[in-house]
Amino acid sequence: MNPVVEVKNLNVTFKGEEGSIFAVNDVSFDLAAGETLALLGESGCGKSVTLKSLMRLHPMHKTQIEGQVLVEGQDVLKMKSKALSEMRGKTVSMVFQEPMLAFDPVFTVGDQIAESVMRHERISYKDARQRALEMLDRVRIPSAAKRLDAYPHEMSGGMRQRAMIALALACKPRVLLADEPTTALDATVQIQVLLLLKELQRELGMSMIFVTHDVGVAIEVADRTAVMYAGRIIEQGPVQAVLSKPWHPYTQGLLGATVHPGMDRNQALPAIPGAPPQLIRRIDECAFAPRCAQASSRCLSPLPSVNTLTPRWTRCIHADVSQA
Amino acid sequence: MSALLRVQDLKKHFPIGKDLFGRPTQVVHAVESVSFEVEKGRTLGIVGESGCGKSTTARLLMHLIEPDEGRISIRGKEFGNIGGRHPVAQLRRQMQMVFQDSYASLNPRLTIEDSIAFGPQIHGVSETLARQQARDLLDRVGLNPSVFIRRYPHELSGGQRQRVNIARALAIKPEIVILDEAVSALDKSVQAQVLNLLSDLKKEFELTYLFISHDLNVVQYISDDVMVMYLGQVVESGPVAQLYENPAHPYTRALLNSVPAQTPGQSKNYIVLEGDPPNPIAPPKGCRFHPRCQFAKAICAEKEPDTVKVSGSHKAACFKLPGSADHQTYIRLQEVSHEPRC
Repeated sequence: MNPVVEVKNLNVTFKGEEGSIFAVNDVSFDLAAGETLALLGESGCGKSVTLKSLMRLHPMHKTQIEGQVLVEGQDVLKMKSKALSEMRGKTVSMVFQEPMLAFDPVFTVGDQIAESVMRHERISYKDARQRALEMLDRVRIPSAAKRLDAYPHEMSGGMRQRAMIALALACKPRVLLADEPTTALDATVQIQVLLLLKELQRELGMSMIFVTHDVGVAIEVADRTAVMYAGRIIEQGPVQAVLSKPWHPYTQGLLGATVHPGMDRNQALPAIPGAPPQLIRRIDECAFAPRCAQASSRCLSPLPSVNTLTPRWTRCIHADVSQA
Repeated sequence: MSALLRVQDLKKHFPIGKDLFGRPTQVVHAVESVSFEVEKGRTLGIVGESGCGKSTTARLLMHLIEPDEGRISIRGKEFGNIGGRHPVAQLRRQMQMVFQDSYASLNPRLTIEDSIAFGPQIHGVSETLARQQARDLLDRVGLNPSVFIRRYPHELSGGQRQRVNIARALAIKPEIVILDEAVSALDKSVQAQVLNLLSDLKKEFELTYLFISHDLNVVQYISDDVMVMYLGQVVESGPVAQLYENPAHPYTRALLNSVPAQTPGQSKNYIVLEGDPPNPIAPPKGCRFHPRCQFAKAICAEKEPDTVKVSGSHKAACFKLPGSADHQTYIRLQEVSHEPRC
């Protein structure tokens, strides 16, 4: 089966007055129909930048994007602006971390959902509002008919995120991009929204790319995971395999440093020393080497390319990939 | 053993909006009769969702916000801005605070050294000595003094800035440190470094921590005792192992259960609560949790449950508990099915 999304050798560089930031470096992955991929990593690792590239949401004049982003066989990076806005919201849709900033504060939630449906399906306002109502119902917003005329600020955080999901799914996209959609929510609300997303994904048969820094969230939603560090995917594979037997020392370190139940309270946490590097130059060697206990001199020369088409791979040259 | 810090019936209501005569039209019930004790050398974790009053409680303790009611005493000495109580300035020598936003809590125009040496000078330490201590503390929190002393906050990473904030809090040698989401904004790999540092400092300086966080795993790791808050009230408290293994309050149970498993392959059966935490402007009558509680009965909407002993120092406020005065009434009532809250 052909993948719905194929990203090949994606490079994203931001041009600033004080030099360039090499935010994403040689990122490749694909996504099958109905599949969920979690992009896992810490702040500044390039996970959100990668996600935004899939819809070309970066400011044009400041960003240099290279590589290929194929959505249903079409290269997003080469699309004309008309095809691009046709694709956004219809084929690929996005849910953001902060729904208050993603909604327009001066229009009601119902109208914003209806606008998107009218734009893509060319139906009347009345029908579009009917669809908006169905969607609000579907994401289980209580008394949806009343909420249709609510402004974003009149909703609570959890409800606003549900409305955001309703908006994103209103045109039944093939791919949903979710950028930390539950990070700003409280624990009891986070789990509601995660389970809702999983359920809707099954119903609509869509694919999902889920950006998160939370290992637990990745385990909960994803089939596969790609772990990012300093602008690169450093390890990729089935979520179970990667997170139970990580190959890359960074993934191992990240999992070790994450506090989880049943840890020995009298033992110090196995923290990773140091901090991630600044991305002010293109890093071709292993970016994790300065923090890595297993690093050797070979890690400091440009890393060999890896076959990203295998189900599971890592960039670490020292990883013992025999034990899966 | 007597408690180091004792808090009794702490209360804070924030008036919002004003009518024609300047009277408040609405009141946010931020903190409602919160009482607890912390013994020397222990860590009390305070957990709860946004708006539950955990940060307000911290600010009330420091008198960054003036409490409406309540008593705060350290080693039996009562502090406050009321006649007959010891002055708040003395309280702040014994209790210091580290905030979530490491950047906003440092003065951008002061160097790291100036920031750390500022407090002790206010409290009467000579400048030379204060600066010397600042250097020692920087070294102690893992920042090389010769590198960092002349730097400004914007030149540091988030983890480094939080180390500076910890050093500053320790500069006036407090006994109690309130950590209000102090590691929440940090990435996991850096968070582990700072948590280790906090454990080391606690032993070295014999500190007592109040650890406020929404991260239930971190609270379990670092705390000796835990207090769970919901809409301004304490719903459950007790030793960490007992409370996490055997939560007595339905809210605590749902809250602890809502954390996704950190190990792959363990699928969980989640207790999914309906709706969001309600607004503290008009908290529900009776038990404040009853509109979201699957065990709620008629009495829960009418009467506030009393806080009763579960076992040892483990306490909770729920009619379901056998120790509750109205437990028999609760048992006899039919369960009410309730519509999801709007």
